[in-house]
Amino acid sequence: MDDMSSMYCNCKPEAPRSQLKAWAKVDELARANSLWVTAYGTGCGAIELRPLHTSRFDMERFGIAMRPTPRQADVLIVSGYLSVKTLKRVIRVYEQMQDPKYIVALGSCTINGGMYYDSYNTLNVLDRYLPVDVYIMGCMPRPEAIIDGFGLLMEKIKAGRADGWEHYRENLEWYRDNQKKVIPKWDLPDYNW
Amino acid sequence: MMDSQRLLEQVESTATVLQVIRRSDGYLHVSIGSQDLLSCLIRARTETGFLVLQLISVVDRIEDGKFQLTYILENPDDSSILILSALFPREGCTVPTLSEIWPAAETFERELHEMYGIDFPGNDRQDEEFILEGWKDKPPMRRDFDTLEYSIRMFGERWPRNHHDPRQFIGERVGEWETPMSGEEGS
Amino acid sequence: MMFALVGSIILTSIAALVWGLLLGGISRNVTAKIHGRIGPRVTQNFIDMWKLFRKKTSIHHGTMFWLAPMFRIAGAIGVLILVPLVVGSTVLVNMSFAGDLLLVVYFMFFGCLGMALGAGDSGHPYAVIAVSRGLAQMSSYELSFSVAVIVIAVGLKTLSIEEIVLAQQNGLFSWNIFRFPFASAAALITFLPMQMAYPFGIVLAPQEIPIGPPTEYSSRFLSFMFSGRAIFGVAKLVLFVNLLFGGASTWIGLLVKTFLLYMFPVFVSSVFPRFRTEQSIRFLWFIPTSLAAVDLIRIMVM
Repeated sequence: MDDMSSMYCNCKPEAPRSQLKAWAKVDELARANSLWVTAYGTGCGAIELRPLHTSRFDMERFGIAMRPTPRQADVLIVSGYLSVKTLKRVIRVYEQMQDPKYIVALGSCTINGGMYYDSYNTLNVLDRYLPVDVYIMGCMPRPEAIIDGFGLLMEKIKAGRADGWEHYRENLEWYRDNQKKVIPKWDLPDYNW
Repeated sequence: MMDSQRLLEQVESTATVLQVIRRSDGYLHVSIGSQDLLSCLIRARTETGFLVLQLISVVDRIEDGKFQLTYILENPDDSSILILSALFPREGCTVPTLSEIWPAAETFERELHEMYGIDFPGNDRQDEEFILEGWKDKPPMRRDFDTLEYSIRMFGERWPRNHHDPRQFIGERVGEWETPMSGEEGS
Repeated sequence: MMFALVGSIILTSIAALVWGLLLGGISRNVTAKIHGRIGPRVTQNFIDMWKLFRKKTSIHHGTMFWLAPMFRIAGAIGVLILVPLVVGSTVLVNMSFAGDLLLVVYFMFFGCLGMALGAGDSGHPYAVIAVSRGLAQMSSYELSFSVAVIVIAVGLKTLSIEEIVLAQQNGLFSWNIFRFPFASAAALITFLPMQMAYPFGIVLAPQEIPIGPPTEYSSRFLSFMFSGRAIFGVAKLVLFVNLLFGGASTWIGLLVKTFLLYMFPVFVSSVFPRFRTEQSIRFLWFIPTSLAAVDLIRIMVM
């Protein structure tokens, strides 16, 4: 880790600067209408995203597009069950995304463990480890349900209530404690941005 | 295609066959004594031409206090399959390693060591992590490992939830429950 | 005088930016229609730009990483101010001079080189792979494009883009695409890799090396890069219209010609799969270069 230390930032994130109300309104409108999604499928729900961005359901008409790199994305879709090993990667991906960023969680598995509630390596409640903005229930949710969930996220952003990323930054200690509790081999730097 | 009778004779020449589980043309599944397993596998590879080790699998027979290890071998020349099963005692289970004979066995054995805690003396890489990262508890695939208890202890109690009978729930939401076909039957 | 020049440059750049983003939105829509989808709004690119511009950034990878989007915009505006947009226009900038064709052909690759340095500075392995691919492909299409440009320069006996445009004003058949059909075909083929269209899209290749050079670029850097790409796209379109399609004497003519030319890579791109690197380079070395060489020999002999 020593030789890699120059690759990471080793200070806590700064508090957001306040900005003009009018600008914020325009920004929220633009953010809501241009959601870029990290192409990262964690579980079986990733298979439901394929029909979503091909001809039948076509999410590009809402301005939602897939980006292959977390640096350029706004939304992280946690699609289904999350194993402990994947959680580590998801944390890396989430923290590499640039503010503001949102998390959409698909499926019962992210809400309360779903059918894997008694598994030894899948998480039960995602909200304890990452700030989720919108949950979409179902096992798995149909593409219509995912579109509906994105509509909800857009409304939240327009209303200025999609502030999971700020909450994560303010309560970083609590989230880190929870993450370190379930990840026995914590070999990440403390701040991955 | 090798006749299963000839296969059985060859297995019997090196090992005591306890039970023939299934046999058909070019396919033989036998259960043999655990002390003969290694010699039988080596013989199958060197003399009978079973060059490919397809899989090593384990069944935890907790009622008998045994692990059942199953080795699936394939002969690439005529595609015949030989499956050897052997029972090993469950506590302090030690199984001879095959990593000298089939290098691929090293990986299979790593997985079994991690998931069941079976010891393979002679396999240098068996202590490396295979899937689990930093696992400290009892090997998770053993049947005496309580996954629900572990899940609650590690990931916390899951949030309570309401149960809905789908028929009733949908009826409350949309009114009369009707299947799409029910209205069309008369016409 | 100086003030007017700077104002003219800014005006031209903004006009090119708006037109480039609009063309991008239209092309996304057209691609969606070809796929049988509804497609995004035509203004989607403007929304994306604004969102990216207002996103926060917390990434630092070195000086060159910061400068690369500037290089890209500088290269784009450099090409744009050298090519005459509308013949005889007094509003839009036109710094055309004798021999500017050579400078433009050089300057077109300035932005790509800056991009290559910046992507290399970002340290991401995919970015480096994409840069090496992109430079290899660039050196291959540069050859055929240069031969095509030489054909036009030799055939019309001038190195000034403005004179090339003026030489094409005597009706439809004085356009270079009819005078030098083979060289024009070669130039149009090289237009595909310049626009990173399939089958030559090996630089971005989203399914293989996640979008290549801009992998590490985010927020404001990316918005600058997008605007550079939009301006550069328009500059290239205007250059091709000037070289092959008789230039433009009116605003409407310019918009119609650039729009039609822009749709050519969009249509080709949405129905073709992607070449591998060596296939792409082999194709670009042999097919367009030999096409352009046919015209070159024809001019030399006649």
